Amino acid sequence: MKLFKIAAAAATGLALLGGTALADDKPVVGLIMKSLANEFFQNMMVGAEAHQEKRGDYELKAVGMQNETDFESQINAVENFITQGVDAIVVAPADSRAMVRPLKKAMEAGIVVVNFDVSLDEDAKKQQGVELAFVGPDNRGGAKLAGDALGKKLGEGGKVVIIEGNPGADNATQRRLGFEDSVAEYKLNLLDSRTAHWETEEANQVFATMLTAHPDIQGVMAANDSMAIGVVKALESAGRTDIEVVGFDNIPAVGPMIEDGRMLATVDQFGTDMAANAIDLALEVVSSGEQLEGWVKTPIELVTAN
Amino acid sequence: MTTDTLQEAAPPVSKFSVRTVLHNAGIGLALLALILFFSVFTEHFLTPNNITNILTQITINLILAVGMTFVILIGGIDLSVGSVMAFAAVVAGKAITLPGFGPAEAIALAIVAATLTGVLCGFLNGAISAYWALPSFIITLGMLNIARGAALQVSEAQTIYSFPFAFEEFGSAMIYGVPVVFLVALVLVFIAWFVLNFTVFGRLIYGIGNNEEAVRLAGHSVSRYKIAAFTICGLTAGIAAIVYMARLNISSPIAGIGFELNAIAAVIIGGTSLSGGRGSVIGTLLGAFIIGVLANGLILIGLSDFMRQMITGVVIIVAVILDYYRAKYAST
Repeated sequence: MKLFKIAAAAATGLALLGGTALADDKPVVGLIMKSLANEFFQNMMVGAEAHQEKRGDYELKAVGMQNETDFESQINAVENFITQGVDAIVVAPADSRAMVRPLKKAMEAGIVVVNFDVSLDEDAKKQQGVELAFVGPDNRGGAKLAGDALGKKLGEGGKVVIIEGNPGADNATQRRLGFEDSVAEYKLNLLDSRTAHWETEEANQVFATMLTAHPDIQGVMAANDSMAIGVVKALESAGRTDIEVVGFDNIPAVGPMIEDGRMLATVDQFGTDMAANAIDLALEVVSSGEQLEGWVKTPIELVTAN
Repeated sequence: MTTDTLQEAAPPVSKFSVRTVLHNAGIGLALLALILFFSVFTEHFLTPNNITNILTQITINLILAVGMTFVILIGGIDLSVGSVMAFAAVVAGKAITLPGFGPAEAIALAIVAATLTGVLCGFLNGAISAYWALPSFIITLGMLNIARGAALQVSEAQTIYSFPFAFEEFGSAMIYGVPVVFLVALVLVFIAWFVLNFTVFGRLIYGIGNNEEAVRLAGHSVSRYKIAAFTICGLTAGIAAIVYMARLNISSPIAGIGFELNAIAAVIIGGTSLSGGRGSVIGTLLGAFIIGVLANGLILIGLSDFMRQMITGVVIIVAVILDYYRAKYAST
């Protein structure tokens, strides 16, 4: 009993010490992520934590969500950060409209807000009278890089299909538009375009059936690599080696496929660094007071076999 | 006279079989109509390649639905099978990529890991809902989250890849154009059919769904059979995980989201009653075919994704309405 009391006292002491550590003048950054079930955001989170350890001159408070559409927990996170009085909020919005109002509240409370990964909706921003820069990759431009690689390979009239991400998701829409830009530029023949909800197994089934309907497909544009893997497996089971596949994200699992030619290309948007870069920008604004403007584009790169 | 007294304890085999045959004939006709429709209106539906595709595409759902049939027959439901499949696939993915094993050992290890994971989750579902007499709907909803979280935790949300070549070969192997993985599913259907119809265990599964109290009064441990049904369902989720891995050569922690709904749909379309006690695994086989043929045929026709989803929903509702009339007809 006594021992327990001593332990409890010690714990309280430690907690107090921890409290004072938080209270020194290191700026506090609240990071609001999307679904950590997604490999991409998981890596980004790990990248941000490593970045905090390396810089060491700020406190990081990170929040993730249960799934891609759970934007209510993001709104709660913003409100909690306002209450805690953080210096900056760095946010990858799960919904480009719903997040505008809570972020406006944060800005009014004097918190530096940096919007990364997915841009907030322009109209919603105007409506709320919010001016906020966007730090992130050009999903449409990235998809066009992959689409162009396919267009160059196939030439004019090449017959292609698109495997889309979740209908309604902003990055899915942007990537589809990017692919369609390539289709227009290289005068490709778009035979079909369907969603496989970002998922390997569904892409495998959907594409196998598309291939039956259009045996003359020459190229496939998949909006992420998980779906591209499903497409590659479908091609293998159909014994087709004459069809080119491009993806997006550059996840480790597609490395070997690019190397041995089962995939033509993918796009790297350096997800691991994305949150870290946004945090750097936020800290700069905190210390200099100079606001960001417009669209700060983060790097994207086409990945092919050399 | 004698049949009537027997029915008090456990339903007789003969009458049920006749009724089952009639049910299945109805579902079979619906499937035939669909096949006919797509054959007429699309160019590629009835080609050998497309048939192979459909068989591959329904395999995972069929395997999950076989286990689900047992659970629904006792009047339960298992919402966790999609997540449990992902969890089993991730555990097996970790096992198969362990360094220092030859391909044969690695594959054996993965198969053991996947089935054990599935069995354990299924057992927990059954044991918890039976011991505290709680609705399986809510227990398996809990397990849905536990298994999905565990899959993400174990894999650190990363796709696991680079499995032995032999494993991949099994996933894409064919015998006369029939995917070997589909044959595995068919064997499971046959075993389930045999167990449900020709063993005491199987008859008690029906009995519990019809009249749990009667089975208990006859001196059987209802809990034990309930736990067994959920464990079988978990086992099939583990087997589905192995098929998933062999086919796609990856383990993804986000695999199988929503698969439980497709499995339940296959069972219900197949004429098994959601309140338990009535139905058959042959119906489930036909139900899985209906879902697979629809998914495939509607793409071949060129219908948009959104229309496709709507039509699948309509088919499920129509199937349940038909089931209502069948039940009404059967009880009079």
